[in-house]
Amino acid sequence: MSAADRDQAALPAGLRERVMAASLTARAAGQPVPAVPEISGDEAFARAADAFDGLLGELSGEGWKTQALRGLDVQGLVGHLTGVEEDTQRALGGDPEVADAGHVESTQGAAIRQAGRSPALTRDEWRRAADRTLELARAAGRDPAAGGSARLAMHGITLPLDDLLVVRAFELWVHDNDIRRAVGLPPSVPDPPVLHLMSDLAARMLPYAAARLGLRPVDVHLVLTGPGGGTWDVAIGRGAGGRAADPGPEGVAIVADAVGFCLLAGNRVTPAELGPHITGDESRAVSVLAATPALALD
Amino acid sequence: MEGSDALLAARLAAGDDRALAEAFDQLASSVYGGALRVLGNGSAAHDVVQDVFVELWSHPDRYDPAAGSLRTYLIVLARHRAVDVLRSELRRVARQERHYRLTPAEPPGAASDEVVAAETASVVRAAVQLLPDGQRRVVELAYFEGLTCREVANAMGIPEGTAKSRLRLAMAKLEAVLDRQLLESS
Repeated sequence: MSAADRDQAALPAGLRERVMAASLTARAAGQPVPAVPEISGDEAFARAADAFDGLLGELSGEGWKTQALRGLDVQGLVGHLTGVEEDTQRALGGDPEVADAGHVESTQGAAIRQAGRSPALTRDEWRRAADRTLELARAAGRDPAAGGSARLAMHGITLPLDDLLVVRAFELWVHDNDIRRAVGLPPSVPDPPVLHLMSDLAARMLPYAAARLGLRPVDVHLVLTGPGGGTWDVAIGRGAGGRAADPGPEGVAIVADAVGFCLLAGNRVTPAELGPHITGDESRAVSVLAATPALALD
Repeated sequence: MEGSDALLAARLAAGDDRALAEAFDQLASSVYGGALRVLGNGSAAHDVVQDVFVELWSHPDRYDPAAGSLRTYLIVLARHRAVDVLRSELRRVARQERHYRLTPAEPPGAASDEVVAAETASVVRAAVQLLPDGQRRVVELAYFEGLTCREVANAMGIPEGTAKSRLRLAMAKLEAVLDRQLLESS
């Protein structure tokens, strides 16, 4: 008999329930430690834009000409982002045509027009576009008529303004890493408040992503580890955006790194590369992970 | 085990209440056993188990998987908490003895409290008797007579610094003696 075995003692009835109740009173389930400061969507976008601008400032002339994505060099990819800002501004202005515009097709003109320009001009044009988006978004957020909760439609998705700005931060970070990979720089990680908003959005979007692929109903206990992570119970197939009150034995639990999960949602890693820990029906969990990037914009 | 402990700790930090339930199911009996070894009575050990798991859930980042297993971390935490309970009990017993000496006709408290207190108090008193004379006298004066360190020093004719260091040594030995005594008696 080992020392550890000798030290074990039969637990009294009710102690487990008492300990769980006391623990969850001290700290609610789902809340990460250390606590992540709450920031708004526009703050997340502003931070992502600053980080992206910082990266652009590090690039050499050769770096700007490096192939990055979809046949675009870095300069063309930055032009694509300028085009996305222009479409975001159209959405903020109530232009209905941008609602169903293709994310790539609609911005291809802005990407192509960078050819022959100086990188400084491309960077300046993007920065001014990002600042203009931020300015319009903050004005819309303050608009009492909209109540800060206006839903905006662009590129095939409809989201509240705050979430749309998190999507914009998400895309900036994803392309930041596309550029880093292309020019041989180490990957970047958003600061925890921004990453937490991205994780939260990716978790909340899971039912919509799963619906796009026609997944069967399943309750998902999603645990995203690391700074900016958290825990979410997501009901898939119970109506749009449903949250599971109690996932129960039929559900699956997925534990993964928060950064990795966001990269999966952004279609930059595969479920196998993510290396999740799965409890429950593995095939259903794998289906959920395979559906996670279904809403990714490129 | 270290890898699974690291994952469990990461899940706890992410707010995964199922990880807390798993940690309890895997480790609570060891934590309870560790607390019982020091305290000898179940009721106080239950409180220690609760304190330990509330601490783990509230501050999962205080556990470093690289430093050792979660089991060891929790058992050490339980032992420290249990010793804190004993220390507090030592002070309570000392206060009670002084009080009874002054007012011997004071009516007793609830019967169950008295039984628990009496069990612990007898263990504490026996442990104090095992201390070396100089240290035992310091503890008796400081805790049972309620003297300050300066008063203890004056009463024993030793420097105040010596009184303090003897008290520290006595408390450390007392914890070890109590632990050993309770282990032998369990």
